[in-house]
Amino acid sequence: MAEHHTATDSKHKASLNAGGSLHGNSRPNAACGGGGKGGLSGGLAQPAGWQSLLSFTILFLAWLAGFSSRLFAVIRFESIIHEFDPWFNYRSTHHLTTNGFYEFLNWFDERSWYPLGRIVGGTVYPGLMVTAGLIHYVLNLLHLTVHIRDVCVFLAPVFSGLTSISTFLLTRELWNQGAGLLAACFIAIVPGYISRSVAGSFDNEGIAIFALQFTYYLWVKSIKTGSVFWSIGCCLSYFYMVSAWGGYVFIINLIPLHVFVLLLMQRYSKRVYIAYSTFYIVGLVLSMQIPFVGFQPIRTSEHTAAAGVFALLQAYALLQYLKNRLTKQEFQTLFFLGVSLAAGVVFLTVIYLTYTGLWFCIKNVNDERVFVALYAISAVYFAGVMVRLMLTLTPVVCMLSAIAFSSVFEHYLGDDMKRENPPIEDSSDEDDKRSSGNLYDKAGKVRKHVSEQEKAEEGLGPNIKSIVTMLMLMLLMMFAVHCTWVTSNAYSSPSVVLASYNNDGTRNILDDFREAYYWLRQNTDEHARVMSWWDYGYQIAGMANRTTLVDNNTWNNSHIALVGKAMSSNESAAYEIMRSLDVDYVLIIFGGVIGYSGDDINKFLWMVRIAEGEHPKDIRESDYFTPQGEFRVDKAGSPVLLNCLMYKMSYYRFGEMQLDFRTPPGFDRTRNAEIGNKDIKFKHLEEAFTSEHWLVRIYKVKKLENREPLEHKLRSIVPRQKYTSKKTSKRKRGHIRNKLVLKKGKKLNKK
Amino acid sequence: MARSIPFCTVPTCLLLITGLCCRVVANGLVNEEVKRTVDLSTHIAKITAEILLLNQGDSAVHSFILAVEPELAPNLAYVGASVKGDEEEDGILELKQTMIQGQSGEFYKVQLPSSLAVGAKLRVKVETVLSHILRPFPTHITQAERQLVVFQGNHYLYSPYPTRSQTTRVRLASKTVESYTKLGNPSKSDEAIEYGPFRDVAPFSEDALKVHYENNTPFLTISSITRIIEVSHWGNIAVEETIDMRHTGAFLKGPFSRYDYQRQSDSGISSVKSFKTILPASAQDVYYRDEIGNISTSHLQILEDSVEVEVRPRFPLFGGWKTHYILGYNLPSYEYLYTLGDQYALKMRLVDHVYDDQVIDSLTVKLILPEGARNIHVETPYPIDRIPDQLHYTYLDTFGRPVLVASKNNLVEQHIQDVVVHYTFNKVLMLQEPLLVVGAFYILFFTVIIYVRLDFSITKDPAAEVRMKVSSITEQVLTLVNKRLGLYRHMDEVVNRYKQSRDTGALNSGRKILEADHRTLTNDISSLQARLKAEGSDLADKVGEVQKLDGQVKELVCRSWQEAERLVAGKVKKEAYIDNEKTLSSKRLELVTRIDSLLDTL
Repeated sequence: MAEHHTATDSKHKASLNAGGSLHGNSRPNAACGGGGKGGLSGGLAQPAGWQSLLSFTILFLAWLAGFSSRLFAVIRFESIIHEFDPWFNYRSTHHLTTNGFYEFLNWFDERSWYPLGRIVGGTVYPGLMVTAGLIHYVLNLLHLTVHIRDVCVFLAPVFSGLTSISTFLLTRELWNQGAGLLAACFIAIVPGYISRSVAGSFDNEGIAIFALQFTYYLWVKSIKTGSVFWSIGCCLSYFYMVSAWGGYVFIINLIPLHVFVLLLMQRYSKRVYIAYSTFYIVGLVLSMQIPFVGFQPIRTSEHTAAAGVFALLQAYALLQYLKNRLTKQEFQTLFFLGVSLAAGVVFLTVIYLTYTGLWFCIKNVNDERVFVALYAISAVYFAGVMVRLMLTLTPVVCMLSAIAFSSVFEHYLGDDMKRENPPIEDSSDEDDKRSSGNLYDKAGKVRKHVSEQEKAEEGLGPNIKSIVTMLMLMLLMMFAVHCTWVTSNAYSSPSVVLASYNNDGTRNILDDFREAYYWLRQNTDEHARVMSWWDYGYQIAGMANRTTLVDNNTWNNSHIALVGKAMSSNESAAYEIMRSLDVDYVLIIFGGVIGYSGDDINKFLWMVRIAEGEHPKDIRESDYFTPQGEFRVDKAGSPVLLNCLMYKMSYYRFGEMQLDFRTPPGFDRTRNAEIGNKDIKFKHLEEAFTSEHWLVRIYKVKKLENREPLEHKLRSIVPRQKYTSKKTSKRKRGHIRNKLVLKKGKKLNKK
Repeated sequence: MARSIPFCTVPTCLLLITGLCCRVVANGLVNEEVKRTVDLSTHIAKITAEILLLNQGDSAVHSFILAVEPELAPNLAYVGASVKGDEEEDGILELKQTMIQGQSGEFYKVQLPSSLAVGAKLRVKVETVLSHILRPFPTHITQAERQLVVFQGNHYLYSPYPTRSQTTRVRLASKTVESYTKLGNPSKSDEAIEYGPFRDVAPFSEDALKVHYENNTPFLTISSITRIIEVSHWGNIAVEETIDMRHTGAFLKGPFSRYDYQRQSDSGISSVKSFKTILPASAQDVYYRDEIGNISTSHLQILEDSVEVEVRPRFPLFGGWKTHYILGYNLPSYEYLYTLGDQYALKMRLVDHVYDDQVIDSLTVKLILPEGARNIHVETPYPIDRIPDQLHYTYLDTFGRPVLVASKNNLVEQHIQDVVVHYTFNKVLMLQEPLLVVGAFYILFFTVIIYVRLDFSITKDPAAEVRMKVSSITEQVLTLVNKRLGLYRHMDEVVNRYKQSRDTGALNSGRKILEADHRTLTNDISSLQARLKAEGSDLADKVGEVQKLDGQVKELVCRSWQEAERLVAGKVKKEAYIDNEKTLSSKRLELVTRIDSLLDTL
């Protein structure tokens, strides 16, 4: 709130020659690490002008900071798609841009899940691809010839800027503009969000968090105004969220919860009724337009709470209406009350089962602050349930901490602050009736007092103030440094390209994945089928452009189990499976040479377990352990393990290889053991390619060998004449036409 | 030639046709002495023949004919002739393809620099480059095996003229030779086979020369290359080459073992690990990538006269393997673009170096000229197929840049020559793009201004309008009241100054000015108050209260004024004055606080 008054501040300071204290606007700048904007002393007639200029600058800087802190991977490596799932998203976006939207919706991808295939259009959330495709389309329409890959790589950083703007809007609605700016700066650089939105991480979450925050903003707006316009906006934003991420369920549960709690708190109003009824009906219809969602919103249990609250709200509204109309007819009222109570009890139980019972009370409570409290609590709950949903927690933490910082600064920095009024949001564009009293009043009018100059010292000593302020600023700076450090170290590796550092600081790039994938792309048949563990399915499809058996969309467990079984069987049994699946190449990851720990031998027990789940007769996990229950690859390892296909493929000819003089040949650096089976021969496979550091090994499945030629000569059948007319004068034997009647198992007449 | 007439009437026919042909082509020229070198040390065959031409006819000769065997003609990539000068420099001769009736093969008519008189001699050098002529045999080898290839050619110089004497020297890539034809008992040294000399060879003689030998040089072929040259008048020429490359030697049979490849130096000896591409010396921002990103295994070396890129494909190329990559760089345009007024000329290499002894099966060149280039005229060093021009749209283009497209098949190193493109370009068009940006921003800001300033709401809300009016009035009241309070400060200062200087005149004049100001301000505020009342706002009362309080403040100020005058006049004691002043100022402070709290409620 402090920068609210900077213009009047400076005027008064000029006229009252009051001792120079801290400028109010120094805080948000420090938070976003941007450049200072000190020269405010020039008297601009309108405080609103300065205020919006300052907000605009801060938001712009927050966007810039968020964008650039996500670029570590691009600068260190290159503009490349990261990890696994983004490769699928990229591939489908590429398909979308080359073949058009309808082709994309109808896309049957025959290159994955061989021989099943996958209906991509119906099994993805298309929001991400459509967004990237649309941006690409618009840019190309303007003749900005940007490659779709670059659009995909930079989509998440760009959307992080939009997220910070929508967080600003939401926090401004909830608290005030200063807190909003702080929240925008926080969300721009907070690691929890960066982890899913660095450049190259082309994933649903990157745009979904924006959609989430924006939907919440529009929801708060619509509940504050009770206007259908904002509700429809909220629905459209919700539709975008549904199209982008499965996490839309969070919204469709949180908003009903909010309404429900408002009802419980006796805060029912027409605004709530209009907002929620519009949102539920339009949002429901819109969300069902996404092919992947389809009829889920009316079938599955995640959505029942929303329906229940909708019905409850209708009943409640009806009750309110009847209260006004039918006060005399107590019987009827009671009747309706009874009915709605019964209904309410049902929904109550549903909702209490859905959510943990929670109740939160904060000072200065109003409708939207109830919302943020619920948001925080449910996000904490979800993050506790599944760590990946930490992502939903991040924005609300940013908002709440921004509010905390904002109010602390108001106390310690604001020597020109009004005491009696709590700071209230500046809803300058609000035009509804002031139903909630002065809560929605204009707060922008709070101004500097001439008289309080003298009073200011009474509250807190200037020393304490400045110490607290310095501490807070230190904290913010530490936060910025911490965020940058975490981003740079933890979240900025593409994981497709590995890098190692020498003692002198020079960098070696280990590009084995792409080497092998590109070899597959260039030097195998276009329709070759590649078997690998499902982790690499999307990458093989994306980079090698070859048909895979299983991939990261793990929808068919039995198929995965079959691949796991092939990997964990011996060669001849595996050959049977591979023949039945038409496998041409087998790809495995082997980290024993460079000590890469995420390789297939380390994942091998999972293959065994999944295979055992489907084929318990053939594969038993215990067979792969030593009698002592250890998983060992050396001589002490179990013979089943030492002869299974995965082991043989990983260590083929590795036994001859001596990495350095201190270790014996065939020493596996990842598992620090000398391998147990050094004499590996293949009968049905042959090595097709091994990458430079042996990280990726590709084997070719040989076709069936020709059968051995027969020793004896083929039986020659001389066509015998069945009938010749030998009617001579001597032998006159009559015959009947078509006489031959063959009987099974009976020899024909011998001569 | 003899092959074409297989049956028993050969001798007569042969004589007849030969005689006929000789009459057609032989204008009395004789190959007096021929030295042929067949260089088979790489994956292409380079045949150079030094011919001493002798005119034995009865008139001067202006041209002679070069012939290429019908069997080799499909592989012919380049043929060139030059006159052996006295010094190093050779005069390149102009070639024109012709036909000779009754003879198969390809024929070129070479224009001599000056006419060759009767009995005169001239030494010419003929260079022929054949691609894909070395056939791997066996066609499939394992990783450990070495690559053997077969060359099939001609022992003699294929020529329409009789040859008096000739020698043929075959240079090989290695010492290992499986077999070679032994016409005339050739002598074989380390890496060369010498045939001849053969005497008095008839025109169009052919005799199969066959060499089967080991050749592990990289059998790389560029199966297709697309070279895009984009000229910008802002000082840059961007070059991008998209290359499909294939190893056209013996196919790899069986497995590829990385272990053997790493541990044994002669394993996969015919495979290609890397090669060098030489770029122009001023090349900058070189990139080397493919569909899935940057290829991290390359090195760049900047030399004095060139930039060397060590291009290492992602994987070593074995027989039959292929790869695909994009290599691009920027060049400063001042080195290649010449201008005179509106006339421009671009002089660039039509095709550039990719690797030594390169073979390009199919080349497509796209020359993107700036938007607005007209009267385009191309001079190519050798005939090349023009494909209809296209339009290319990139940053800030409106009507598209003209793209010249040309293609040619079967190129070798000798084709690295300059192409010249002339065009005219109106320099005013340079301003188009900046103006476009300026215009776009102008429209953007203008729209924002319009949007912010104008009211687009479809409903009229009188209440909101009144509220807005009231708020603007109160805003004005606030500033005026603040100004007025500031005036009191000012008055205090004047009084203080007066107390020190005791200048009554200054005090009075200051007082007069301040009072006048005060009066105007008070009047303004009351007029605003009246307007507030007219709007029907209850805030008018509050403003009235403020006015009232202000009157009291004014009184207090006047009193402190008088007190000060009395003090200066010596009418009151200093202590009494200070006490008085204290009470006055505390009263004033109280009043001001009340005013402030009133203002806050506005």
